[in-house]
Amino acid sequence: MEKKTGVYICSGCEIGNCIDVEKICKLAAEEFKVADAVIHPALCSVEGYDLILENIEKNKLDSVLIAACSPRVKTDVFDFPENILLERVNFREQIAWCYEPNDEDTQMAAEDYLRMGITKVINTQIPQPYLAENLSSDILVVGGGITGVTASLEGAKAGYKIHLIEKDEQLGGRANELYKMYPCKKPFTKFHEPFLDDLADELKTYENVTVYTSTQIQKISGEPGNFDVELINGSTKKIKVGSIVAAMGWKPYDANKLSHLGYGKSDKVITIQEFEKRVKENPNLKLPEKVLFIQCAGSRDEKHLPYCSNYCCSTSLKQSQYIRDLSPDSSVFIVYKDIRTQGLAEEFYKEVQKDDQVFFTKGEIDEVLVENENLNVKVKETLLGEDISLSVDLIILATGMIPNGTEDLNLNYRLGKGLPELKYNFSDSHFICFPYETRRTGIYAAGTLRAPMDIAASRSDAAGAMFKAIQCIEATKRGEAVHPRSGDKSYPELYMDRCTDCKRCTEECPFGVYDETEKGTPLPNPARCRRCGICLGSCPERIISFSDYSINSVSAMIKVVEIPDEFEEKPRILAFVCENDAYPAIDMAGTKRLKYSPYVRIIPVRCLGSVNKVWISDALSCGYDGILQIGCKPGDDYQCHFIHGSELTETRGENIQETLQSMMLEPERILTKFVEITDYHKIPEIINNYAETIEEIGPNPFKDM
Amino acid sequence: MIEILPDIDFKKELKKSSGSSLSECMQCGTCSAVCSLAPDDRPFPRKEMIWAAWGLKDKLAANPDLWLCHQCGDCSTYCPRDVKPADVLSSVRQIIYKQNARPAFMGKLLSKPALLPIAILIPVIIISIILLLAGTLSIPEGPVNYSKFFPHAWLNGSFSVITLLVYGMATIGFVKFYHSIKSGFPEAKPKMSLFKSMIQVKIEVLRHSKFTDCENKKSRTIAHFLLFYGFLLLLLVTLYAIVAVIIEAYPMALTDPFKIIGNIASLMLIVGLGIFIYNRLFNKSTLGNSNYSDWLLLISIFLLTLSGIVVQFARFGDWNLAYHLYFFHLVCVWFVIIYLPYTKFAHMVYRFIALSFANRIGRK
Repeated sequence: MEKKTGVYICSGCEIGNCIDVEKICKLAAEEFKVADAVIHPALCSVEGYDLILENIEKNKLDSVLIAACSPRVKTDVFDFPENILLERVNFREQIAWCYEPNDEDTQMAAEDYLRMGITKVINTQIPQPYLAENLSSDILVVGGGITGVTASLEGAKAGYKIHLIEKDEQLGGRANELYKMYPCKKPFTKFHEPFLDDLADELKTYENVTVYTSTQIQKISGEPGNFDVELINGSTKKIKVGSIVAAMGWKPYDANKLSHLGYGKSDKVITIQEFEKRVKENPNLKLPEKVLFIQCAGSRDEKHLPYCSNYCCSTSLKQSQYIRDLSPDSSVFIVYKDIRTQGLAEEFYKEVQKDDQVFFTKGEIDEVLVENENLNVKVKETLLGEDISLSVDLIILATGMIPNGTEDLNLNYRLGKGLPELKYNFSDSHFICFPYETRRTGIYAAGTLRAPMDIAASRSDAAGAMFKAIQCIEATKRGEAVHPRSGDKSYPELYMDRCTDCKRCTEECPFGVYDETEKGTPLPNPARCRRCGICLGSCPERIISFSDYSINSVSAMIKVVEIPDEFEEKPRILAFVCENDAYPAIDMAGTKRLKYSPYVRIIPVRCLGSVNKVWISDALSCGYDGILQIGCKPGDDYQCHFIHGSELTETRGENIQETLQSMMLEPERILTKFVEITDYHKIPEIINNYAETIEEIGPNPFKDM
Repeated sequence: MIEILPDIDFKKELKKSSGSSLSECMQCGTCSAVCSLAPDDRPFPRKEMIWAAWGLKDKLAANPDLWLCHQCGDCSTYCPRDVKPADVLSSVRQIIYKQNARPAFMGKLLSKPALLPIAILIPVIIISIILLLAGTLSIPEGPVNYSKFFPHAWLNGSFSVITLLVYGMATIGFVKFYHSIKSGFPEAKPKMSLFKSMIQVKIEVLRHSKFTDCENKKSRTIAHFLLFYGFLLLLLVTLYAIVAVIIEAYPMALTDPFKIIGNIASLMLIVGLGIFIYNRLFNKSTLGNSNYSDWLLLISIFLLTLSGIVVQFARFGDWNLAYHLYFFHLVCVWFVIIYLPYTKFAHMVYRFIALSFANRIGRK
C-alpha cells in the first residue's frame, strides 16, 4: 500500500547550523515524493507539534517522519494518534552534535539517514497486537512458604484470583522449622514469633485465594494469559492461569561435606538448622557454657558454596541470644569472615553486640580437634594479632542455602521442564536490570529461588514478583510485550510455507517461544515472546518478521544509502547497533560532543542476535566497505537484555566468515564490539579505529557492481 | 597461638572506666587506619579493642603499643560505630598503673576517688610528724622565712629520702612491666642495645616528635610542650636551690636569674595546664571522656604550681597565711612527686620503657 508520509525536519538544537536542512527537505520532496515536507525551528514546541497535527489532518497522512533529536528522547512530546506510523531520524545526537558543521560528509550522512528513515516508513506497518481469546487473569503461586504465601496475599489484595500450590500437608515451608524470628523492626531486642500462622489466617480471609496442599504439578503448558496447569493430588485437576510466581525455596547446604569443621566427628558439632530444631522442640534446653558459631561454614568458599547466603549471620546472632537467655553464664564465640547483616538486621547485630559475653572475631578456621568429649578449635587470620585456640562445648555451623530445583514445575517447553539457571543454580533473573524475570515469560521467580535472602527480603521479593506477574497478565491482554520491550505490540509472524524445519529459531530463542512438532516444525507461542528478534536473525529462510522490523525493511534501508564510488575515497561503514545499550551510548557520545567518523551509517537493531546474515551479504554486495556490530557484553555476568543475543554473533560468526570467503572478501570486513551503556567515551575510538582498518584494507571490490 | 580465656570482670571494669561500649566495636579497623602512629604490622588500636572486648587482660598488660598511642583521639573521632578506642586505651593504661604499683596498695589508693581523703591525710600526717621531730611545728614570729618553719636540712633530707624510698619500691613494678612487655614479643630480635634505644627515645621525647605526628590536635602538642619543659626547668631550679642553700644566701632575690627562670617555668606550666583543662572541659567530643586519674594529675600539678607562686608572693608580702600556704604547697609536692609512680604521671616512666622497648625491636 502506498503511504502518505509527512517529513518534519527540526532545525533547532544546532541541527540547522550544521546541515543544509533546505536541501534535506527538497530531497524528501523530490527523491521520495513525500506528501508533506516541512522545516521547523523547534518541532518539540507546542507550535511545532500542532503544525504536525494540522498537516496530518490537512494532507490525510498515515505516517510521520520526524528528523530531529534521538528517538530515545521526547517520546512524550512526539506522541501521535495510534493510526499514525511514526518514525524518527536522529539528526541531533548522531549528526549535529558529533560531526563537523557544514561539511560535505556531514551533509551526506544526514541525507542518507533521511533516506533510511523514509525507506523504513515505506517498508513497515503499524503493529497489530496478538490478541488470544479466553485469557485468564488467574495467577498460580508455586510454593507455600513465606514467599509464596506473601505473594498470594499481595496478589489477592490486588484483586486477582490466586491458586497457591504446596507439596507438603501444610503451608509454611522452612519457616515452620523456626523457634523465633530475629527482629526486623524496633525494638531490635525482641524476637518475633514466627508469624506464619497469622499470614495463613489472613490468607483465609480472601475468597479469591485457593490453597492446594499436598499437591504437585504434573504439567504446565501454554503461554502467558493461557497457561494450562495440571495439578495432581490423588486425582488430577486442570486449571488455567495467566501467569505464574515460582517460590519454591531452598534447602541447607549438606553439612556432611563439612567434616573439616568437625561435622560428623562429634555430636557436639551441629548446624544452625539442627540447633534451631533442638531449641524449638525444647525451649528450656540445658545448654553448655561455651559455644562457638562458625560463620560461612561451607560458604564463600570455592570448594563449597562460593556465595554468601545472606541469612546465616543474622541467624547465628539470633541463636547466640537463645543461648545467652537460656544460660546467663554462657559465653558465645562467633568467628566470621564478615558479619553480613543486611538491611535492618544490622540494628539487631548492634543489639547483640551490647551483650558482654558474645565475642566476635574475623578469622579462618584452621583446625577443629575432637578429642574425647573436648572440642578445640584453632583459628588463624584473626583480628587479635595472632592465631587463637578456643576450647568449647558446642560448635554450631552456619551453613548456607542452596536453591530448590525448578524441575517440579514440569514445564511442557521444548527447552526443559524447569527454569533456566545461571550462576550457582539460582534461577536466572538479571539482578539489576530485571529481577524476578526468568527466561520463561510469564513465570516469575521469587525469594530464595533466585537469590539467597532472609525472610524480610523474601517478603518484599514476593511482592515484586507478584506485581510482575500482574503486569504480565495485563500486558498480555493488550497484546503487548513485557519488559524490556514493554508495550511493544509487534510479534513474530512466520511464513510457514517456506519453513524447512531447520529448528534454528526453536533452538536460539532464549525464551522458549517456540515449541515444535515431532517433525521439528516450530509452533510459536507469541505471548511468550519478548520481541528481541533473535528468531528473525536466526532464520536462514528469512520467513520470520515483525510488522515494524523485518528482513525487508532493514534490507531496504541498507540499500537506500548512497555509496560513493571508490575514486571518491569516501568509504561507508554499516553499523548494526543494539538499541539497549550501544545506541544510547552513541547518543551519549553525541551529548558529550565526542566526534567520530562521518563514514558510518547506523541502523539500530533490537538485539545483535536479530541481525540476519542476509543483511550482511546485502550490505557487502551493495558496496559497504565494512560492517560493525555493536552490542551488549555476553558471558556469565551478561548485560544482553535478551540473555545470549550478543553471544550468538560469535556462534553465527563462522557462517558469516564463510559468506565473506565465498565473496572473496577479507575477514576484517566484519567486526563485533561489546559495550556497556556507560562506555560512551569508547565509541569514537571503536568507530574511528574501524574506519582506519577499512582504509587500510581498501575499498570493497563490489562497489559499483 | 593464644588460649582464649575471657576475663569478663575485667571487661566490665574496663567498660565502666572507659565509658566506651567496647563490645559495639565491629572490628572494621577504621581506628587503625586513621592512626598516624600505628605500626604497619598488627597496628593498634583495633587489636587492643578486640582484646578488650574479649577480656584478654594479660595480652593488654604485655602490650607496648598502648604506650605508642599519644591519645590524639583520631580513632574515636572517626569510629563509625561511635566506640571510643582512645578512651579504652587510656583506661587500660590506668589499669596498668594500678596493676604494676609497688607497694600494691598505693595503686588502689590513687585510683579510687573514695580514697582521696586518705591520700591527702598521709602527706599531712607525715609532714606534721617531720615538723614535730624538727621541733618547728608552730607559726614562727617575724618576717616570713620558710626555713624557720621547715629547716632546709630537714626538708631536703626528709623529702629526698622518702622520694628515693618510694621510687625504689616502684622500680620493682617498672621492671616487672618491662619484662611483661618483653614476654609479649618472644620472637623479637633487638636491633640495638637498650641504652642506645633509650637515648633515641629520650631525644624523641625532648623533641615531641610523636606529638607532631598526631596531626589534628595542635593545642595539645603546645600544651604538653609547655608543661614538659616548664616542669624540666623547675626541676633544675629546685635542684639548684637545694645546692644554693649551702653555697649562697637563701632565699633568693626576685631578680636572681634562677628565680626568673623558675617564674617563667611556672608561667609555662600555668598556660599549658590551662589549655589541657580547657580541652578536657570543652572539647569532649575529640578528647573523649576524662576520668578521675586525668583530673587528679591535672589538678594536683595545677595546685602545686599555683601554690608555689602564691607562696612566693606570701614571702615577699609577709602574708599572715604564708606558712599555711607553704604547708599546702608541700602537700602538693608530695602528691605530684612522691605519688608519681602511682598516678597518671607515671606515664612518663611506662611510656619511656615501652617506647624504648618498641624502638629497640624496631616496632614503628
